[in-house]
Amino acid sequence: MFHDYRHDHCATPARGGNGERVLIYHLRDVVKTREAEGVTFKLRVPSLQIALGEKIALIGESGCGKSTLLDLLTFISRPTSVGAFRFRPEPGAAPIDIQAHWKQKAYDDLSDLRMLRLGYVMQTGGLLPYLTVRENIGLSRRLLGLDPDAVDELAYDLGIHKHLDKKPFQLSTGERQRVAIGRALAHRPSIVIADEPTASLDPIAAQRIMALFIEMVESLNITVIVASHAWRHVKSLGLRRLKLRIHKDADGGVAETIVSG
Amino acid sequence: MRRLRNLLWLSWRDYLNEWQMSGCFVLALAAVLGPMLILFGLKAGIVGNMFEQLINNPHNLELRTVGNGRFDRPWIEALRERPETGFVIPRTRSLAASVDLKSDDAADIVPVELITSAPGDPLLGDVAQALASPTDVILSASAAEKLRARVGDEIDASVARRFHGKRQREHVTLKVAGIAPSTASRRDSIFALLALAEAIESFKDGIAVERFGWDGDPPRDDSRRLYAGFRLYARSLDDVTTLSGYMQDLGLNVRTRSEDIEMVRSMDRNLTMIFWVVALIGLIGFSVSLGASLWANVDRKQRELSMMRLVGFHTGDIVWYPVFQSLLTATLGWALAVGIYFGVSKGINQLMASQLRPGEEVCRLAPEHFVWALLLTLAASVVAAALAGFRAARIEPAEGLREV
Repeated sequence: MFHDYRHDHCATPARGGNGERVLIYHLRDVVKTREAEGVTFKLRVPSLQIALGEKIALIGESGCGKSTLLDLLTFISRPTSVGAFRFRPEPGAAPIDIQAHWKQKAYDDLSDLRMLRLGYVMQTGGLLPYLTVRENIGLSRRLLGLDPDAVDELAYDLGIHKHLDKKPFQLSTGERQRVAIGRALAHRPSIVIADEPTASLDPIAAQRIMALFIEMVESLNITVIVASHAWRHVKSLGLRRLKLRIHKDADGGVAETIVSG
Repeated sequence: MRRLRNLLWLSWRDYLNEWQMSGCFVLALAAVLGPMLILFGLKAGIVGNMFEQLINNPHNLELRTVGNGRFDRPWIEALRERPETGFVIPRTRSLAASVDLKSDDAADIVPVELITSAPGDPLLGDVAQALASPTDVILSASAAEKLRARVGDEIDASVARRFHGKRQREHVTLKVAGIAPSTASRRDSIFALLALAEAIESFKDGIAVERFGWDGDPPRDDSRRLYAGFRLYARSLDDVTTLSGYMQDLGLNVRTRSEDIEMVRSMDRNLTMIFWVVALIGLIGFSVSLGASLWANVDRKQRELSMMRLVGFHTGDIVWYPVFQSLLTATLGWALAVGIYFGVSKGINQLMASQLRPGEEVCRLAPEHFVWALLLTLAASVVAAALAGFRAARIEPAEGLREV
């Protein structure tokens, strides 16, 4: 049912030439510690491998370290210690050593990598209020110098083509989330990361939009990671769930979270 | 390049979207800058008019030696060659420069003072061009009135001397070549070429003057003649100071109207200083208020700014976001202030027109003043935005992502 927009990145299946899985993320012994008000929180990732084209669910209550992990995976937060942290945006590409970029303070390169390879859907909006829906969706394409034609088709598939010339404040919350999804997908990133994309919606709308979102990334062959606080939101969508092990301290706060998958 | 272009585009769209707020700052800037332009225009106009009046009055360019001296022709020629010298001509002794005039139309004999002159005399302007022969004279306005003389009239001039114990008087017919403007001399005087003055001085000294058929002792070598003084005019007001210093170095006591000139100069300096103090306070005030608002904007727009970092803008790009908006405010505010200035200055000039000479304006600015105003405003606005810019650049992509 969806148009095939793919012309920027090739849509090879997530397997290399000799049949082995191509890993978009490869993390080994990555640790991020955070200190807030004297309480130390530690996120540990002994091993995390996500293949190109995979659909990943990251389920856990708020404060368990989901966002910390997402910040690591979007290169906006620097890991405390790293065994290995490699990012391979497409099958033919050489893996990129993310930790080396952090060490060399090559922050602008990480920004460029985000611009080219990453789409991000925030919990609410994250749209620029002064741009129209069309301009908001087209922003990522515009930054990369890509033609804006794909925006209309995308908006049609997202069911927001009637609102293309409106400003975000004229839309309902659900419509705004559709716009946010549009912007995250418009430039055909290698991976889309969605942090509680439907948490601010009513259950019926949430389910509909989540299903639409997953269907679209599937048809576009984009790898996706969805963070959510409840498994039931994504249960029926065929996502692979990462394992979270949470250790609480004596006060019941989260002291350490171990993610693997 | 593309990133920066897009960033400026976003900054512009944000600026447009918040047009009420942007407009308020444009108005605030114009409210500070407009009156400052008018103030500066008034200062420039008033002081400029005073300077022009000084320059237009040739008496202000004059340097007078006090008493009689002894100057030979080469010395005066050397003075003429100096770059500061506008006009110089030797003069004879003042006692030897008195002439009695008699015209057909006036009953009284009018004693006048002979002033040496030549074409180019700044006191006479174009009228001096009419001096061609030694018998041509230009009458001062009051002398012309007393003699009821008009241009082209012939008048009788007589000079008297005591020669070998006898009183002698000789006559010569002079032609009225022109009438001097009343500003040239308030007294009864005639302007004539040096030849006539020399002839009269020689006559008074008892020396024969062949040209007019006057008897006396045999003439002396004219090239070694000594003059009692000279009429000296500097080229400009600044040159008055230079020339005066030069003369004083030579041990000559000169008088100038430098006090008048200095008064206008010091007024100009004081007004300029006052203007700058007011302008500085105004601009600082504006910068601080614009800076504070841009600083607060960074807080208000943190989510959007961090979103922009997330989609790939570099730290260095984000600085330009508030800076560009600030530059927009500066340019628009300046344009509005210039508009205000033109409207108000036109009104002021019309209001004052009756008290001014034609072509004079009491409020005026040169084009470069507007350019300076723009550059200063742009500089102030960049300073105001810089802090906000660096603050915005420090925003991490993660900061605005989640609701706190």
